[in-house]
Amino acid sequence: MSLLNLSLPPLASNLVKSRTTTTATTTAQQCYIHPVVLFSILDHYLRRNDNQERVIGTLLGVRSDDGRVVEIRSCFAVPHFETSDQVEVDMEHHRSMFSLHKKASAREQIVGWYATGSQLSKYAALIQDFYSREAAPFGAVHLVMDTELTGGQLGIKCLQGAAIGAGAHPENCLFLPLAHELQYPDAELTALQAAADSTEGEGIATLISDMEQLEKTIEELRCMLARVSAYVDNVCEGKTEPNTVIGKYLMDMLAVVPKVDTKQFATLFQSHLQDILMVAYLTNLTRAQLNIADRLQRIA
Amino acid sequence: MADTGKQAKPMTALLNEEFSLSAFDSSVIPKKLLSVLDVEKKMSLESVKVDPLAILKIVKHARESYPSEVNGQLLGLEIDGVLEVTNAFAVPTQPGSEDDMTNYQIEMIQCLREVNIDSSVVGWYQSTRLGDFMQKPLLDVQASYQASPNSSSVVLIHDTSKSEQAGNLSLRAFRLSQTYLDLTKDGKLTTKEMLEKGLTYANILEELPIEVETSSLAKALLSELQWPANADQELLESLQRPSSFNTKLRARRLADRSAISDDTEASSDALDNSLSGLLPSQPTAYLSRPMCTNALDLSQGLNGSSSLARQLEGINDLIDEHIHDANQWMYWKRGEAKELNRRQQYVQRKATSNAARLARGEKEEPEPTEKELDKMFRVLPEPSRLDALINTANLELLTKGITQSRGPALTKMFMAQGLHESSA
Repeated sequence: MSLLNLSLPPLASNLVKSRTTTTATTTAQQCYIHPVVLFSILDHYLRRNDNQERVIGTLLGVRSDDGRVVEIRSCFAVPHFETSDQVEVDMEHHRSMFSLHKKASAREQIVGWYATGSQLSKYAALIQDFYSREAAPFGAVHLVMDTELTGGQLGIKCLQGAAIGAGAHPENCLFLPLAHELQYPDAELTALQAAADSTEGEGIATLISDMEQLEKTIEELRCMLARVSAYVDNVCEGKTEPNTVIGKYLMDMLAVVPKVDTKQFATLFQSHLQDILMVAYLTNLTRAQLNIADRLQRIA
Repeated sequence: MADTGKQAKPMTALLNEEFSLSAFDSSVIPKKLLSVLDVEKKMSLESVKVDPLAILKIVKHARESYPSEVNGQLLGLEIDGVLEVTNAFAVPTQPGSEDDMTNYQIEMIQCLREVNIDSSVVGWYQSTRLGDFMQKPLLDVQASYQASPNSSSVVLIHDTSKSEQAGNLSLRAFRLSQTYLDLTKDGKLTTKEMLEKGLTYANILEELPIEVETSSLAKALLSELQWPANADQELLESLQRPSSFNTKLRARRLADRSAISDDTEASSDALDNSLSGLLPSQPTAYLSRPMCTNALDLSQGLNGSSSLARQLEGINDLIDEHIHDANQWMYWKRGEAKELNRRQQYVQRKATSNAARLARGEKEEPEPTEKELDKMFRVLPEPSRLDALINTANLELLTKGITQSRGPALTKMFMAQGLHESSA
């Protein structure tokens, strides 16, 4: 009986190196993705040439010192050409783009590569090997985005390669899934909000003022509260199955509302109100003054 | 076959359908692109359409380099008076020299062209810290961009801290007004000229409305991020994760004791998404909190010192400069008035002495000509009003920004009061 030699990538990062391959010596355990990467991949996919079915590109980011946590911050596209017999990746382009990116953001390094499509390409192992050498001493992370919308979803999967097989050839590679999470810094959230507004209606959204945004957020909050209180009412009347996890969570959340002594709150409120009104008055005064000065000058 | 395909495809941004062109056949090009081919036509810009990808890149670049101000280039296409920005890239902040910068841009655009990204530069972007972006270098760069004919370009200004605090994306598009360009071409910015052309601090820059347009695939991505299909089980499991929720809350309470801080944001922070934990969480592909709850955040602070305080300090400095400029101008004006006075007196004296001579029967002295007078009474040319103008414009920007932010602040306060009354 033949045995399948399956070796998981080793956890320790140092001197353990397999004799014949230069693949990863450290595994990643968690992967954080910035939203700009996803949009970039989609944009590249939309602009692909006629004869391509899938597109690939390089992922840039940072890794924690022991290599366990990977943060994918940005990416760029790499032209490649795939036939049934061979695959060509434009390495020159990859190298020059990387050096250009390095000038703009010095911290980012190559952490892996991405590809679109619902299944792994035939040559994924080879490309993985190439990128592992680039991302040394850590293994390369492979991000797959399902642009064909199988199951009505854009499936995003993170994978990493592990050597498999009797002898360690670069073509033999097993892709293991990697836990990934999307990370949204606050500023990007606002950008996504503006973009999300454009998904309703005809697909175009204008940027709105702060006051209108506040109004929208309050409206959303009200809807959320309505949903939650409807759920609670249903549970109390026995119409819905109670779920203790959700119940405890709701209880914690209600405890969050700050309990401030009424008198103290009144003082805080008044002083804050006075501050706001004073600042508004002074700035309006300044603006009026500027206007007057400008007009006076034009008369003189 | 591949060559003709490449040759006729500089505008792949909008050609989502497939075209195989054997020769340059203009009937096959979609109608809305025909105006791009007409190089003679001059169209004025009316609005700017930005792709979310470009916005995200700008936001990311600005956020990473906060608080220093950074800039980069915008790529896209102009069609029928609408400038479409489809991509953007960052420009390094410490270039070796002018040449390095140009080389970087050329190389970047070439590389991007190979993957069919629009290779025409339609403008540039800049991040700002307090909102007072009106500086001379900005005007100069934008003037150089707009100087090239048949190319429209805008500058997009993004304010990172304002976006984060207000929960609303702060992105504005500007062009230099024609009046400003005319005046600076001649190089003279005196009061008289500004009056003639009608240049005030308010119309140096023209603002253009911005729209966000997403492709269909991107829309699918956005919907999936917000409402994942089968996240129920994962959600329940992550709700059960203890401690991160309460410790964060306690830390916040300790930090903002004086400010009234509305904790609806903290409740959605429960699903922890920071890089600090090394424990692998369950794969969550969706947004772990609703977008833009920052809009409800009452605390005005950002990284320590309140941004409102910083803006007010900025206003103080600008007001000082404004007064200084006004004093300079008055000093010059007084000098000019004195010289003119002396000149008039000289002319009068000459006239009376001539009259006296006539009366005595001697010959008249020739009247002093304008040229001689000019040589004798030299008046300094008026100092350029440009700096004062820019300063005033900056001041206007800052004050307007503050005034606009007071409205939401007031609303949030009354909301907090309502919440307090209902919980008491």
